Amino acid sequence: MKKLILTSAIVAAFAAPVAAETLTIGTATAQTGSLAYADAPTMQGMKLAVDEINEAGGIGGTIKIELLEKDVRSDPAQTSIAAQELVDAGVSVIVLPGDSDPSLAAIGVVSSAEIPAISTVASSPTLPEIGGDYMFSNFPGDNVQAAVSAKWAYDEGFRTAWIVYSLDTQYTTMPLYFRDVFEKLGGEMLGESTNTIGQQDFSAIATTIAAQDPQPDVVMTSAYEPDFPSLLRALRAAGVTSQIIGSDGIDSPTTFSLGDVGEGVVFTTAGFATEGSALESFDKAFEAKYGSAPETIYSAVGYDLIKVIEAAVIAADGSTDPKAIQQAMANLENVQGATGLITYKGTNGMPIRQVSLIRVKDGGRELVGQPTPDADLIPAPRMQ
Amino acid sequence: MTRAPLLSAQGLVVRYGAIEAVRGIDFSIHEGEIVTFLGANGAGKSSTLNALVSLVPAAEGQVLFGGEDITDVAPERLAPMGLTLAPEGRRVFGGLTVEENLRMGAYGVRSAEKREAAWDMVHDLFPILHERRHQFAGTLSGGQQQMLAIGRALMCGPRLLLLDEPSLGLAPQIVGQIFDLIALLRERDVTLGIVEQNVAMALEVADRGYVMAGGRIVAEGTAAELRQTDRLQAAYLGGS
Amino acid sequence: MDLFVQQTVNALALGGTYALLALGLAVVFSIMGLINFAHGELMTISGYTLMYCGIAGVPFVISVPLAILAAMVAAVAMERIAFRPVRGGSGATMLITSFAVAMILQVLFQNLISARSQAVMLPPLLSESLRIGNVIIGVNKIAAIVATVLMLVFLDRFMNRQKTGIAMRAAAEDFAIARLMGIRANTVIAGAFAISGLLAGVAAVLWVSQRASVDPLMGFTPVLKAFIAAILGGLGSLRGAVAGGFLLGFIEVYLAAFLPQELQEFRDPIGLGIVVLILLFRPNGMIPSRVLGSVKV
Repeated sequence: MKKLILTSAIVAAFAAPVAAETLTIGTATAQTGSLAYADAPTMQGMKLAVDEINEAGGIGGTIKIELLEKDVRSDPAQTSIAAQELVDAGVSVIVLPGDSDPSLAAIGVVSSAEIPAISTVASSPTLPEIGGDYMFSNFPGDNVQAAVSAKWAYDEGFRTAWIVYSLDTQYTTMPLYFRDVFEKLGGEMLGESTNTIGQQDFSAIATTIAAQDPQPDVVMTSAYEPDFPSLLRALRAAGVTSQIIGSDGIDSPTTFSLGDVGEGVVFTTAGFATEGSALESFDKAFEAKYGSAPETIYSAVGYDLIKVIEAAVIAADGSTDPKAIQQAMANLENVQGATGLITYKGTNGMPIRQVSLIRVKDGGRELVGQPTPDADLIPAPRMQ
Repeated sequence: MTRAPLLSAQGLVVRYGAIEAVRGIDFSIHEGEIVTFLGANGAGKSSTLNALVSLVPAAEGQVLFGGEDITDVAPERLAPMGLTLAPEGRRVFGGLTVEENLRMGAYGVRSAEKREAAWDMVHDLFPILHERRHQFAGTLSGGQQQMLAIGRALMCGPRLLLLDEPSLGLAPQIVGQIFDLIALLRERDVTLGIVEQNVAMALEVADRGYVMAGGRIVAEGTAAELRQTDRLQAAYLGGS
Repeated sequence: MDLFVQQTVNALALGGTYALLALGLAVVFSIMGLINFAHGELMTISGYTLMYCGIAGVPFVISVPLAILAAMVAAVAMERIAFRPVRGGSGATMLITSFAVAMILQVLFQNLISARSQAVMLPPLLSESLRIGNVIIGVNKIAAIVATVLMLVFLDRFMNRQKTGIAMRAAAEDFAIARLMGIRANTVIAGAFAISGLLAGVAAVLWVSQRASVDPLMGFTPVLKAFIAAILGGLGSLRGAVAGGFLLGFIEVYLAAFLPQELQEFRDPIGLGIVVLILLFRPNGMIPSRVLGSVKV
């Protein structure tokens, strides 16, 4: 017992002077459960970035990064508990799950502790709006993604559309933004259907859409696994031949292994590895570390998240003080991430990032474009 | 030296939680006998039969059947050994047809020959069951259900058949039929243990009897002896 | 009219899958009074079998029976390892045990396979459709309906003609007396689990061929639907489970198909409202179990 006290005393004595040289990032993310599809690969990308930075001597060559990890099992209540534990542990930044609902659950904790928090991949523009100064996002907003895909659809000559959305989460209401933009451009909505997350059977919706005469040119949804493959298969099996447009939630291996059913699906996501791009070198580094190429863009986005924190700490003159990091982060401009440039300055915490339009082709991805939508085409964030 | 009994129990105790339903009783049943257990409601008669076939566990004591200790043997192993029970309240499988009920009775019998012999015997004894074989057992009258329960028990070709309250809830003329049947079984050399509230009828067909009260055996003897003893009356009136 | 026919086919296909699921729960419940909430994890096991077979390049016609077999083996193993020790325990004990089994399996899937959804390769045929007159019917719907009919016929034959099947019905009515007949408890219960595994396996193939992916928590939704269907039909009654499954499928599909758009948001509450309404008028379900209604002596 005496020995133990002695040891910890020594550790404390030595730890004190170097404390400023370590940045502790607390992660309260969903490594299991329904959001693991996003947060597990994000964590891989984060770890890659942390390793790279630490191997180079740390942030600015001096500040090592340490991750303090908690699995919140995709549960909002657990997210709030984990965030509180991280606050108590004295972390400088907190990483929250990839969906706005569990992230919102932790807002009270992070804002009263005045510690900046970043959601891994939540894309609802309302998250930082509700979350206040300490809540940041790390993904192209739903409204931006929808503006990009609606503009593309209209430019392709599609004039009629049908949306399938769910009120269960902020994210799954992205098609409502699509509707606004598509109508603003002069397109016509033929109808809309709602589903519940995990409902599995889309045959009734698919049959309804198939029965439209003529069928809509476009069916747009932000449903993700397991709903998206079910919806897509049901649509095709019911004889719907429309162009299907999805969002980043379907940027996963399942989408690319659907065979003929998946061919031609177009979706918006956070990046595409063109030759010589930062994403290409990220993919190589990822493969070197994990033995296989990243399965989704989320890994690169996780890498970006750490790069953003790194940039904020440098901008804060190497401070690990949460408030200083928050101030610096809110004013970041053109941070080079794996997926492109990231800017927070002038936003409410929803970053300006590039959106890539991808088409599923021969079971792989084909870049359709990386357009920047007109600012006045992007709908204002709305609460559902 | 007399022949060993077919079934014997020593110091049998049955408990339901804190309640002691059977408080250490000894009895025996010999091959070819009809033995009846008499007593008021709650005297422990049904608990005794249920313990013999392991439907309730024996808390203490030992039961021997054909020389084997069957105290803790699982109920499903008893039918193949030749011990079975037609339970109180008949408990036929209402959702099964009459024929299916009888087939289930012979479930543990391996030899097709034995099954057919049992089937023929049941058919002989209960022509009505043959007539109704495709009917669901739940749609039979009470008397027919009792016949089915007995027939079902006979299907395993038992060496000892236990009948628990065979006349309970039946119309008087049906009760007569059931006891006629018991007499017929005796002619076919089936050994029987009967729990019965209808004392007169039971003593008429039985060779011997045990009188139970408060979980104990308070009197025993031949049917003729028991008809005369006043302990029988005492047992029914609640004293012991 | 064509639309109505098509939606009815959809309802039959979905209802059939629910019926198989509910039957799987009912078979076990009728015999040992256990609502096996780990039933969904049997489906997940089937799903993962399909996934691994796809990766290994096993043809779909072979991987389907393998997947079904996996669920059956898992069901029997589940009974042997987890439920036999608590047999004869209270309903609550067994229920909690089944929750525990479900959670342990989910954690095992998460840690040994992946927390993330895994793609399952499916033959292209399953996403094609047939045109019959003006009606377009997906091949997967036809497969679901055919599989349901085959399973129901098989189960009916088994329960009414086979000695073991009849013994299971007997045991479902009165376990103690069935044992007195020489019907072995272990045989009947293992048989019930094997059948529930078979049903879970078939339902899983239908389920997975809709979603083309499998994840550790995949079993939750189907077991919940099966539970609702089983209650709706009459818990413990096999016919009730089938009726409840089909009714639930019809309610869900017809509401999704014909409820006005402005009410679609309330589809699930309305659907469950209908279920509650039916239960108000028939508290023991549509076709109540004969046994549960009466008091055992």
